[in-house]
Amino acid sequence: MSKNGYLQIHDPLKPKGQAVGIDLGTTNSLVAAVVQDTPRCVPVDEGDALLLPSVVHYAKDGGVVVGARARALASEHPTDTIASVKRFMGRSPDDAETRKLGHYLFAPGAKVVRFDVAGGTPVTPIEVSGEVLRALKRRAEAHFSTKVEQAVITVPAYFDDAQRQATKDAGRLAGLEVLRLLNEPTAAALAYGLDKGSQGTFAVYDLGGGTFDISILKLVDGVFEVKSTGGDSALGGDDFDRAIAQRVLETLGASEAPAPALVAEVLAASRKAKEALTDASSVEFTAGGQTHAVKREDFDAWIQPFVQKTGTVCRRAMKDAGVTAGELDGVILVGGATRVPAVRRYVAELFGREPLGDINPDQVVALGAAVLANLLTTADRQDDVLLLDVIPLSLGLETMGGIVEKLIQRNSTIPTTAGQVFTTFKDGQTGLDVHVLQGERELVEDNRSLARFTLSGIPPLAAGLARVEVRFQVDADGILSVSAQEQSTGVSQSITVKPSHGLTDEEIEQMLLDSIDYAEDDIQARQVREQRVDAERVLAEADRQLGEHGALLQDGERAVIDAAIARVRELMKGEDHLKLKEAVHALDEASRPFIERVMNQAITQVVAGHSVEDY
Amino acid sequence: MRTHFDVFGLKRAYDVDVPALEKQYRELSLQLHPDRVAQASARERLQALEGTTALNEAFKTLKDPVRRAFYLLKLHGIDLDREDAGAQKDMPLAFLEEVMDLREALDTAMAKKDLGRARAMADDVEARKKAALTQAAESLRTLEADAPGDDGQELVRKASHALGRVRYFTRFLEQVDAFEEEIQA
Repeated sequence: MSKNGYLQIHDPLKPKGQAVGIDLGTTNSLVAAVVQDTPRCVPVDEGDALLLPSVVHYAKDGGVVVGARARALASEHPTDTIASVKRFMGRSPDDAETRKLGHYLFAPGAKVVRFDVAGGTPVTPIEVSGEVLRALKRRAEAHFSTKVEQAVITVPAYFDDAQRQATKDAGRLAGLEVLRLLNEPTAAALAYGLDKGSQGTFAVYDLGGGTFDISILKLVDGVFEVKSTGGDSALGGDDFDRAIAQRVLETLGASEAPAPALVAEVLAASRKAKEALTDASSVEFTAGGQTHAVKREDFDAWIQPFVQKTGTVCRRAMKDAGVTAGELDGVILVGGATRVPAVRRYVAELFGREPLGDINPDQVVALGAAVLANLLTTADRQDDVLLLDVIPLSLGLETMGGIVEKLIQRNSTIPTTAGQVFTTFKDGQTGLDVHVLQGERELVEDNRSLARFTLSGIPPLAAGLARVEVRFQVDADGILSVSAQEQSTGVSQSITVKPSHGLTDEEIEQMLLDSIDYAEDDIQARQVREQRVDAERVLAEADRQLGEHGALLQDGERAVIDAAIARVRELMKGEDHLKLKEAVHALDEASRPFIERVMNQAITQVVAGHSVEDY
Repeated sequence: MRTHFDVFGLKRAYDVDVPALEKQYRELSLQLHPDRVAQASARERLQALEGTTALNEAFKTLKDPVRRAFYLLKLHGIDLDREDAGAQKDMPLAFLEEVMDLREALDTAMAKKDLGRARAMADDVEARKKAALTQAAESLRTLEADAPGDDGQELVRKASHALGRVRYFTRFLEQVDAFEEEIQA
């Protein structure tokens, strides 16, 4: 209540802070915004990094850490640190993608993937992604010193309905109004098209950490018309890492059921090796206590099956768009995995031209999303920019004999709608079961099951007389909604939608309530938690070094370090994260001369090629 | 009832100037699309969604000569896209024989994994499809242009038979495509 006694209501026209574009990536996530007519990425992690690793760590005390700090905790707490969560969005526990090499524990018995992590109840991929989005929102708010409540979030063009819905739900959990789910290749084209003033037909080849997309777009006078799209939402740079990791595990004799900590370590080392092979022709690294060497030509051969898979998808997309490689005006590369030389070579050969990559392939999607967020929040638009996107996979209904009847074909421009009339097959029948599917295959079991519902309240008539029309509406986010009407009486039917792989609205509501309750969730509490995790890591490291290399301590040094440790331990019980940070820093300072001696000794030993035991 | 032609302010006809249609589609999209009114009231946004949905449907139908022909036939009361359509049962016997022959030959080629044979059949069927569409187009053109009077029913029947074949040939070609992808995978 305000002073004059009138109830204050929310003013819908009041500005909602800074609208942003978010690239919620498999490996890294970014936020960008248009400021003074230019889209720019915003620092979101330590050291003003523009990339926030999409890694979430769940600590024993219920704390949550996101980003580079979380990634540093992965090898120590492999099952409590979730990376590449995007691969699990909208998927069920028995999906092939869920079962790939990884180091997570899954909670049993649910239709939705749930990770068993420290600090309480298992978390779903939606909640994990929600944490990444929340971190991005907070850090963008800190950067702009204003609220961030509206966002365009990008998704792989090839994401199906369940994966899109899951992404939108994650946005809601993070307290964001999702202005639009934007397809990643379309976002990239938007950034390129507006930057370069291009016209013509372009292919966007987007190979990220876990997903592959190809889109063919036509740009005419500011209108970006997607002609076709294709992809594989379970193919990306992560598969390249796993290709290396699998060989390393074999070498270590640990390919059968390796320990999560070893998997996490080997995967992390493999990722670094892959990155090094972009510039180097061979790389050496240590993992599992052994040194491994990988030549680029071997790596190229290992990843060849994945790279070739993208070619099949590209050819189909060109066919669907009715263009040949020669008719394209350019090929745009997006996604970190397109840095791999073998991928670049393959793309150049496939399209018969050198691809464009002059906007940073990590940032281009976020920049495009920021442009759209800006356009969508402009009240009185004067520009001529418009995106006309398509639905990536056909939508249909199950009919007699387990066959799918397609109602909306893949690559239909959205928003779109379609209907199908059903009749009753028994006298007096008042209900009808409807099964909604997405995919290109003929048989029900080969497609993605999106939802089942029962149409009830059909007037009891003779068989075949009641006619129920089921209508699909796909909105501009590519998300489906379904309605039904009995045609002879005009009675609308009540529909119970049971998402086959997603969460129900009730579950989402509960999560929202939980996160609000739990969140005295202010920045202060979170910083304390993050600082505690950091302190724990520093303490563990100090304990280890003191235990292993106590002989290198000089007179009086131990007492100073012990005092610093005691101070950190004391402050970890409190709530003052700044004091704790200072204490951690002081511990670092106090132990530095000692640590330097430890390092020097290690280097001397390596240089000499012998260990202490040899003497 | 508002037809797809009405959406573009066009006179109902078989022949459509597709480049002009594309240009008009972009212009209308810029006026109607939900993204243009993202900050407006819920009612305006719903109208934009409905308007754009209708525009997309009309554009998809009119830009493609096959879809356009099926749509015109539907305006004449015969909906070949409906599974329960009586029109399909009404196809001439010669067509049923044609279907059985093609079906048998393709099954044989697929059983032998003979992609070359399947492709050759696809080329032949593609030509038959084109010829059938030309036949349908002639009937539809006459139907739309003149007041055909008593000939009307006969023209609709002719168009319906021709498009029934187009529909079958399209499915046949899709099957060959699927077979090709399967072999290549």
